[in-house]
Amino acid sequence: MIKVIVVGGGWAGCAAALAASKAGAQVVLLERTDLLLGTGLVGGIFRNNGRFTAAEEAMAMGGGDLFVAMDANSRHRGIHFPGHSHASFYDVTTMEPLVKKILQNYGIDIKTRARVSGVVKHGKKIQYLTDDNEEIINGDAFVDTTGTTGPMGNCLKYGNGCAMCILRCPTFGPRVSLTAKAEVKEVMGKRADGTYGAMSGSCKINKDSLSSELKNQLEKEGMVVIPLPENLKKSGMLGKKACSQYAIADYAENIVLIDTGHAKLMTPFFPLDLLRTIPGLERARYEDPYSGGVGNSIRYLGIAPCNNSLKVDGIDNLFCAGEKSGILVGHTEAVVTGLLCGHNAVRCCLDMQYLELPPELASGDFIRFIHEQMNTEEGIRLRYTFSGSIYFERMKNLGLYSAQRGEIIERISRAGLADIYNTCLV
Amino acid sequence: MLKKLVGRCIDINTPYCPCLLSETNHCTVCSHLKGEEVCDCNWSGMCILYEKQWQLKKNKWASDADAPVRLEADTEFGVKQKISEDTYLLTIKVTPELAQSLDKCGSFVFLRRPIDPQFYHFPVGVMKVIGNTIQVVIETIGPKSTRLLENDNNQVLVRGPYYNGIFGQPWIDNIEAGKILLIVGGIGQSPAIAVARQLVKKNNSIQAIVAPGKMGTVFISGELTELGINVQEVASMRQLGMRTLSEYLVDSQKCPELIVSAGPDDQHYGIIAALHAAGVNLPMAATNNTTMCCGEGICGSCERVIKDNKRVRTCKVQIDFNQFIQE
Repeated sequence: MIKVIVVGGGWAGCAAALAASKAGAQVVLLERTDLLLGTGLVGGIFRNNGRFTAAEEAMAMGGGDLFVAMDANSRHRGIHFPGHSHASFYDVTTMEPLVKKILQNYGIDIKTRARVSGVVKHGKKIQYLTDDNEEIINGDAFVDTTGTTGPMGNCLKYGNGCAMCILRCPTFGPRVSLTAKAEVKEVMGKRADGTYGAMSGSCKINKDSLSSELKNQLEKEGMVVIPLPENLKKSGMLGKKACSQYAIADYAENIVLIDTGHAKLMTPFFPLDLLRTIPGLERARYEDPYSGGVGNSIRYLGIAPCNNSLKVDGIDNLFCAGEKSGILVGHTEAVVTGLLCGHNAVRCCLDMQYLELPPELASGDFIRFIHEQMNTEEGIRLRYTFSGSIYFERMKNLGLYSAQRGEIIERISRAGLADIYNTCLV
Repeated sequence: MLKKLVGRCIDINTPYCPCLLSETNHCTVCSHLKGEEVCDCNWSGMCILYEKQWQLKKNKWASDADAPVRLEADTEFGVKQKISEDTYLLTIKVTPELAQSLDKCGSFVFLRRPIDPQFYHFPVGVMKVIGNTIQVVIETIGPKSTRLLENDNNQVLVRGPYYNGIFGQPWIDNIEAGKILLIVGGIGQSPAIAVARQLVKKNNSIQAIVAPGKMGTVFISGELTELGINVQEVASMRQLGMRTLSEYLVDSQKCPELIVSAGPDDQHYGIIAALHAAGVNLPMAATNNTTMCCGEGICGSCERVIKDNKRVRTCKVQIDFNQFIQE
């Protein structure tokens, strides 16, 4: 039987494992920590703006299981907040067990606290992986969804230091990039000023630490906009963050809180003493990262060079998805690339032609566009997402954005890709 | 039992890390402190780059040439026993802090006369620590060790602690209720005592083969027997010891889980050859016999080439002895 090894259990890895399993492979999903979803454990926003289109495309292609789960586990639906329409927020506190169950139902062998630390290759093919205990993990094709964040030294050198985030490097050991271990030179994203990396774009405040009025309003409406007092309207903070869809004026002049189970604050960090001067936040404390008053995790420090089928350049049986595959932001983006990469990992084992999503689809155009942009000096300084900034503009201009399910299903079947991820290839 | 030994600095996460090597981008572990752009280590302890940032504030490494880089004790020594012609068992009273930090197998110190220049420092493995007194065995054959005992001198400057006296230390640290074969030759008897004392604490059953080597005397049999170790003395390691070893290796009842070789490199290689001949693959911890001058990874006198043609400074880096290219 074909065996696909997925390394990294974030949204991208979960989606890759799912797609590979649906395509008929035996799948092992290895995760360094004790929880799946990675930064998805503290995210929560989906279906906003173009992410709606991308999610529906994935569903029409037969890879909708994870989006269905997110929908089913949403705290709020159809929310409008500055710059964003029809957003849903899944509950970050209960999402992980649900996803784990779905993957297990597909027969995926999930191994947590399993940190891959070595790659043995022969020529241009990976032969096997080794973990911390020098155990050998054999497979036919491999998926690198190890992300681009951390470990601590990176957050120190390119950010404000380890902010003790959900990735928990000190406990579970440093993130190890499969691509780097396979001796492929990785790409580093840049900020507007040309320095390497970018800071994660939001922090989470413990909801019980908000004033009861604020908490009630947040839970009722899903989001709250609080104008910043004059003295706190800051500048310069925007260029540092990863999520360019929130790098708009509204977020520099207001505090935007979103109810994802925690109170998600749309800024990379905010000094606690200043935060507590805002009405309703007098008792506020951070949930993630714990040192959200000081900094946040740094990402985009190890992107795998890959083509539009998401095969890593220079290695014949290594695929990548999520942040690993380009300077992209968000769970939807991770799932969309994850599905494609898991599917292609199976095609690799069967010597089939790789699937590339056509440019008539938002997800197809997205992957192509990012890869083109990453070759330019301006492009490597931007971040790409269906939900805003430069790519959402492009989506609208090209007529790829749609919030109509029927229209998107029609688009997928025209491309001949209906239920493609549900097709067993073996 | 750990299967494979990861090459790793012995000083990592001790008070002596990050060390002077990190100042010039020569750290053996942290990729940033090797001058690379991003993280690429496999160390799941406290981040070394982080340690460095915090420690910068106190500037702990020497600011001038005379400031000590580790602990130092300017003290007196006594000759407890003249073991053979040029071999002496010394007792040295040191500071409690230094004594405590040396109470671990594989630890060693540098000795010289306090009035002598720095380059007279020579490394000596610690055999035993009792209270604030350390016991070491020295052979007065080179210019540095000979000078220490000349003219009835009893003054000594002790610098330490250093830890990389045994390759394969993690194997010794991690084995519990295991079966161990301790092979000891000549001056290796001194570190063998430290190893044996540590191994018996964890309920291991130990069989020792001891040969007198060049120094011509076996002086640890009594002490090993007292520790509950079954000692077999042989007149020659090369002729009799290796034969006995081979008998152990082919007998599934007697075959050990771990071999500890305390003695010269020739003895280590002999054991590896015997393992090959018997077709068994066992972890082997081995004493570090390389020539050392500074002990801090700076001077390069202890550098050895390993199988992938990399060079390691053996005063700091833990590695499987099997990885060395035979000189």
